[in-house]
Amino acid sequence: MISTLVLVVFGLLALLFLIRLAKGRSSTINSLDDLTERLRPVDVEAFRNLVDPDEEEFLRTSLPPTEFRAIHRERLHAAVDYISCAAQNAAVLLRLGEAARQSPDPAIAEAGETLVDSAIRLRLYAFHAMGRIYLGILLPGVRLSPVSIAESYERMTGLVIQLGRLQYPATGARVAAVL
Amino acid sequence: MTLLGMVWYYLWIAPYVLQGVLLLVMVRRRFYRQFPVFFAYTAFEVCQFVVLFAMDHSAAVSAEEYVHAYGWALAVSTALRFGILHEILAHLFRDYAALGHFGKPIFRAATVALLFAALALAVYTGGNNANGVMLAVHVADRTASILQCGLLMCLFLFSTYLGLSWRNHVFGIALGVGIFASVELIVSAMRAQITLPYFVDFLTMGTYHCCVLLWIFYLWAPERSTQFTLRVLPETDLEIWNQELQRLLHQ
Repeated sequence: MISTLVLVVFGLLALLFLIRLAKGRSSTINSLDDLTERLRPVDVEAFRNLVDPDEEEFLRTSLPPTEFRAIHRERLHAAVDYISCAAQNAAVLLRLGEAARQSPDPAIAEAGETLVDSAIRLRLYAFHAMGRIYLGILLPGVRLSPVSIAESYERMTGLVIQLGRLQYPATGARVAAVL
Repeated sequence: MTLLGMVWYYLWIAPYVLQGVLLLVMVRRRFYRQFPVFFAYTAFEVCQFVVLFAMDHSAAVSAEEYVHAYGWALAVSTALRFGILHEILAHLFRDYAALGHFGKPIFRAATVALLFAALALAVYTGGNNANGVMLAVHVADRTASILQCGLLMCLFLFSTYLGLSWRNHVFGIALGVGIFASVELIVSAMRAQITLPYFVDFLTMGTYHCCVLLWIFYLWAPERSTQFTLRVLPETDLEIWNQELQRLLHQ
């Protein structure tokens, strides 16, 4: 009987989720200004510093263990914030890439395709990295290497800046400034 | 005929008449090329309705024969719905090449996990129905519902997290299949354990009616176009972009 209850609850939740999904489909980006408003600035260098193993080692040797653990936890929480911010930007940029790949111009379409690929990879890496960082917060001894996120983000933002320049010479710089 | 009887007949007949309309829409807009399995499913549903309706109203057909025919029709329908899921996944992976590398293993793992869970439930919980054929039908129905609903939820959650935009037509088909699979899961889970009052059938039939309307709406509506207006590109920028693409391709 418990299994039946679980299945019924799962079915109801699935139904509610689908209805919500269908309702939320009208939300779209209508212009490049709309896009820039949704982007949040991310300092890649600051993020690199937060997850730098040398920096971590330096703190580990210079601080008492209790203090190190507290600071390390705070740094990891900050890193999660940076990653979620980058992942959110990737979701917005994914829309831009999708719009660009519908362009009749093959170069813009191809650029859009590449941007879409980078954004999807970043979202997947972000999901993976956040899982690992949370594990690191729970188990402070575990080594982390989410530096590839920073590299992936930089590669993606580089693509966006180029795409912006190709499509909107005037407003592309504004997107670049936010990223 | 009572009002309830009329509603029953309406909910039995109307979805299949609407599916006939859906077939026409698909032929007119050449969707049978893009969605061959969904087209086959729609055509099969219309055919099986005609056969089952005729059998139900024929004095020469026994109740047992009808149940067997219903069971076979349900089995083919369920198999075709799995085919639709495969078609939806194929469309999504075609639209997002990057997903092929990461997404396919995730869905393979999800399918295996859901299959094990559904089979374990079928083996350990069984059911309460004394009729062997109907019990087998209900347990198989529940197993298929768990798989279909679970896979669709994985697909929707996965694409929501990644922020993927579905094409209108694919989304409509998936939404209809998902809503029906969710209601089927609720009903089949309860039906495999307890004898449900007959009005629960109204819920399933009404849901299917709504799903057919959803399919017609989404397949009739034009595909959403991009809101961004693209401009003419200067030659120099194109060259820079080509170089950048080459660099990315060699990474």
